[in-house]
This record gives sequence, structure tokens and C-alpha cells, in this order.
Amino acid sequence: MEQLETELKALIVSCLFLEQVSAADIGTDEPLFGEGGLELDSIDALEIGVEIQKKYGVKIDPEDEHLQEHFRTVRSLAKFVSGMR
Amino acid sequence: MTEFRACVIIPTHNHVAALDSILARLDGLPTIVIDDGSDPAVGARIDAICREHSDVEYRRHDINGGKGAAVMDGMARARERGFSHAVQIDADGQHDLSSLPSLLDTARSNPSAIVTGEPQYGADIPLVRRIWRPFTNFWVAINAVALHIPDAMCGFRVYPVDAVLELVRKSVRGRRMEFDVEIIVKAHWVGIPLKGVPVKVIYPEDNFSNFDVVRDNVSLSALQTRLFFGMLWRLPSLIFRRNPDRRVEAARWSSLQERGAYWGMRTLAVIYRILGRHICLAAMFPVIVYFFATGGVQRRASRDYLEHAWQVGLSKQRPTLWLSFRHFLSFGVSVLDKLSAWTTHVPHIWPGPSLQLLEHVETSGQGIVVITAHLGNPEVIRAVGALSGRVPVNVLMHTEHAKLFNRLLKELSPTSPVRAFPVTKVGIDTAIVLSEAIAKGEWVVIAGDRVPVSEEGRVVEVPFLGQVAQFPQGPFVLASLLKAPAYLLFCVREGTGFRVHFSKFAELIELPRADRIGAIRRYASQYARSLESRIAETPLQWFNFYSFWAPVPDVRQDAIAVQRAAE
Repeated sequence: MEQLETELKALIVSCLFLEQVSAADIGTDEPLFGEGGLELDSIDALEIGVEIQKKYGVKIDPEDEHLQEHFRTVRSLAKFVSGMR
Repeated sequence: MTEFRACVIIPTHNHVAALDSILARLDGLPTIVIDDGSDPAVGARIDAICREHSDVEYRRHDINGGKGAAVMDGMARARERGFSHAVQIDADGQHDLSSLPSLLDTARSNPSAIVTGEPQYGADIPLVRRIWRPFTNFWVAINAVALHIPDAMCGFRVYPVDAVLELVRKSVRGRRMEFDVEIIVKAHWVGIPLKGVPVKVIYPEDNFSNFDVVRDNVSLSALQTRLFFGMLWRLPSLIFRRNPDRRVEAARWSSLQERGAYWGMRTLAVIYRILGRHICLAAMFPVIVYFFATGGVQRRASRDYLEHAWQVGLSKQRPTLWLSFRHFLSFGVSVLDKLSAWTTHVPHIWPGPSLQLLEHVETSGQGIVVITAHLGNPEVIRAVGALSGRVPVNVLMHTEHAKLFNRLLKELSPTSPVRAFPVTKVGIDTAIVLSEAIAKGEWVVIAGDRVPVSEEGRVVEVPFLGQVAQFPQGPFVLASLLKAPAYLLFCVREGTGFRVHFSKFAELIELPRADRIGAIRRYASQYARSLESRIAETPLQWFNFYSFWAPVPDVRQDAIAVQRAAE
């Protein structure tokens, strides 16, 4: 799981071209969206979603009500991805 | 294929006189009699007659639900009892049962078909029916593009149970006498084969028909008119429709609208193919007049738009009621143009530098995002591209249109490499499919001048024809996501042909995180400028019949469902 979390952090940094942030800077429990964290926005979410689906082959259902929770932090995202694999 | 096991279904509503002799002649075929709300006394007699014969099941509906509902109940029961086929026989004794073996034989050798009796009328057919029947068949023929439709009103037929139940569950609405017709047309439609077998029809003198001449003919003709004018009424309304309670409307009517439009479009396509453009235009004229007369919202929207275009000097014509009417007419013509482009006529496109660039990009094999507008007929150029089969095209359009479009396309132009995606559901899945398409050198087409239907629609406000208006963010967000060059494509009618305007919009649309909205606004504004310069040339060919400048309260943003979820 830890490895997956690290991978996801790297994926976020590379696919969003984050300039001032490195993968190591992202806290596993840091909120990705909204205030007080990385402050990513919805377009970022979409980019991340596309990358994840491509890389891990997990199918992300845009109608999933819990999508917001899955995308909240790197930890929840990793849990979601490993659960879907 | 399961074993051929047939039963008989006899729907009856107060018909009892002929029942005994019908049952006697069925030779012990398992029979289900559906008493469709006969008077209790008559019901008791029917029940008693059923008991006198072997293997006759009596089922009673206390309330008269109509022939269609009765037959369907019988079919459901037949399925429960394991029958593969059901023979429908009217209870009034008008069917000549000596034809039954040949009907059954035909069904046995064509187990997937509906086998229907083709009445060879004797001289004793009541006059009203004699007059009405060919007329109904004419409409059925037109609607079903009847290559081979037997008599659609004859109730003497053999149904393959499963297929028909499925069809009814999906799409048949008529529950009364129009059911007989509707099911034949729709069966033809979904590809259930139809076989006709000549049968003699007798009108017994001591009997009566539940075919209420007024009510049933009215509902029959309503059905036919519904099918025939489906598109004429509904296609414009699909496109025109955009009133404040549109979501409720859409939810309630979408399936119906889509179906109606589909039928109508198909019908119109056939008429177009057979009778040509002028007849179609003539057929549409009253509809346009009707829409103009009753569509207050659209009329005002047209006026509002023409006023804006005139005020900023883009349109040289003073906005009048007449000009609005011409605007409506021009829309009608564009609907026909779409149709003809997708059917037979390869439209003529005037040569020019735009066309050269278009061909150049097409042959380059690069995947691009094409932003278009509700101006003229971008469909025409898509049709040309599709017909030539050069570049696969993925079109994003509103949900109800997308379904309709895909279905029509499959029908009219089966080899066409065009796919439609509903714009309201662009999520990660679609984004991935589209980015793969781009990578393969395909095109992704999206209109830039229609605000998303959902209230969560993401929009930006930029000046357009002298006043701030809302434009969707979607096209620009999508283009940035797909990381492909973006082009603008417009295609307007010019004389007897079409003029293409094709130009590069941006090599790469970039939306830096620091100022996304600002960047989107700049792109939207660049788009609005380009649209304005096209409108200056053909002001009557911009078709957005809703108040484009009206502020929509609380309309926030979005083209993409997942964005909402992720926030």
C-alpha cells in the first residue's frame, strides 16, 4: 500500500506538472482538493483520474457517489485503486 | 431455438356469441381466453363456455384495459406456461379458422417471425372499415418504410412470445385497438420478420365490433400522425427546447422525444429519398409556421439575437417579425440539409483556402479537437468526411441528440466512422476514449456556443454581439485535457452549396492552474470573436433559439460530471 501511495504521489506531480511541489512533499493524509492542502481543482481531478485509469486499468465510474471521498487524499486514493484492482 | 409450442389467445370484451364455435374449431389447441372487463353476466357466460372445452383457460380482467393489454396479459401467461408462440384470434368470429393450420405452418417454419393474416375481404365488409383500412395501411406503409408489411390491422396472427413481449415492454404504448398496428410497425422496425398468410374474413351479421369507429380511428390516426410527424414536431423542439424547466421536461419526455424524433427523421429521410427536397420543404413549411406561431420563447429569442446582431452592425437587416420568420425557415432548411447530407446527396462544397487546409489536416493524420458552432450546418462537413471515410470523427453532443444521432447514423450510413458522445456525461471514461482517439489521429468535435443543459454547467461570461453572454468552458477544458491542436470549423449554406470555414484556433490550449478561469475566458472570447465574424456573413444561419444573453441565476460551472464529484 505504501508503495502505491508513493507511486500515486509521483503520478500526481508528473501529470499535473506541479512545479513547486515534489512527490515527497505531499502528505499521505493531506487534502488534495479545497483549502489547506494541495488546492487542486476539478480539472486536476479529471487529469488524475485519466492517468490512474490508464496506468492501473481501474475503471472509474463518474457517477460514483463516493468519488469525492476516494479522491480526498493520497491515502484514500490508494485504498480506492487497490480495492478496484 | 426452443421447441415450437403454440397456444391460442382470444381477447374478448362482451363477445360471447361466436366463442363457442371458435373454441370448438380449435381442435383442442391450448387456449387462453382473456375476458377484458366484460359485463359480469357476460363474463359468467364466457367462463361457462370455456369450461365446456378442454384445455381452455379463462382469465378475467375486471376493468376493460383494451385489446393490447389483454393480448399482452395472455402472452405473459403463455410464456409462463412455456409456449413459444401464441395465435391471436378475435372473439367476434370474423377470422376464418380454416386458415389456422397454414398460419401455424408458416410460423413453424419461420419461428422468429410474426405471421399475420392478410384478409381477402368478401363483399360483406362494413363500408366504414373498407374505406378506412387501405388508408391505415397507407400510413403504416409510409411509416414503416413498408417493404413488406402485411395488413397491419388484421388481428389474426401468430406471435413469437418472447420477442413480442420484449418489444412491448420496451416500446409499445398503445393499449387499445391501435396496438395491432403499432406492434406490427415496431416489430418491422426492430427487425422481427413479418410474414403474411392470406385469410378469409367474415363479418357475422349477428355480431358487433368493439372497433369503435370514432374512437379507434381517431386513436389510430393519432398514432399514425404521431409517427409520421414525429420529427417534424419533435426535431425542432429538441433543438429549440431550452426553457427554464427543461430538466423536468427532459426527464419526462426524453425517451419519447428521442423515439419520436428518430421515427420522424427516418420517415423524412425516406420521403426525402423518394420525393426530393422540394416536397420535404413543402411538408415542413406548415410545421415551421406552427412553430413560429406558437413558439413565443423561440420567436423572442430570434428577435433578441437579430436585434443584437443589428445593433452592432453585423446584420444589415432591421429585425422584424418577417426576418425572424426567415430565421425560422432557414433553420428548417438546415434540418433538411443535415438529412440530405446523411442520406444520399453528397453536398457540394465550394472550393477555397479553408477547404484546402481542412484536407491538408485530414491527410496529415494528426488527431485534433474541432470546435464548431450552431451556425449553418457543421454536420454537412462531417457527413462529407464520414462518407469519404477519411478521418474517424467523435462528436460530443447533448444526451438526447447523441442517442438519436447514433441510431440514425447506424441506419443511414452504417459504415460511417462517426461516434457521438453525450456531452453531459463526459467523465474519465469518455476522456480516455477520446484521448486514445486523438492519439490514433481521429477528430473530436464539440460545439462552443451551447451552454451545458445541467444547472451545474460551467460557463464563462464574455462579450458577444455587444453584450456579455455565457459560453461553455467544456470545449476548452476538453481540448486542454486532450493536449491536441484545436481548430474552428463552420460550414454555412451559400447558394446551392456550402462554404467551409476552417482555421487553427490554438496549437495547444493551456489552462495554467494559477488563472484557469482567466485563460478559459480568453479562449472563449477569441471563439466569440470568430463566431461574430461568421455571423456577419450569414446572420440567419445561427441557430440558438433561446435567450442567449439572459442571465441564468446560479448557473455555475461544468462540462464534466466527475469534476463535480471530485470537488
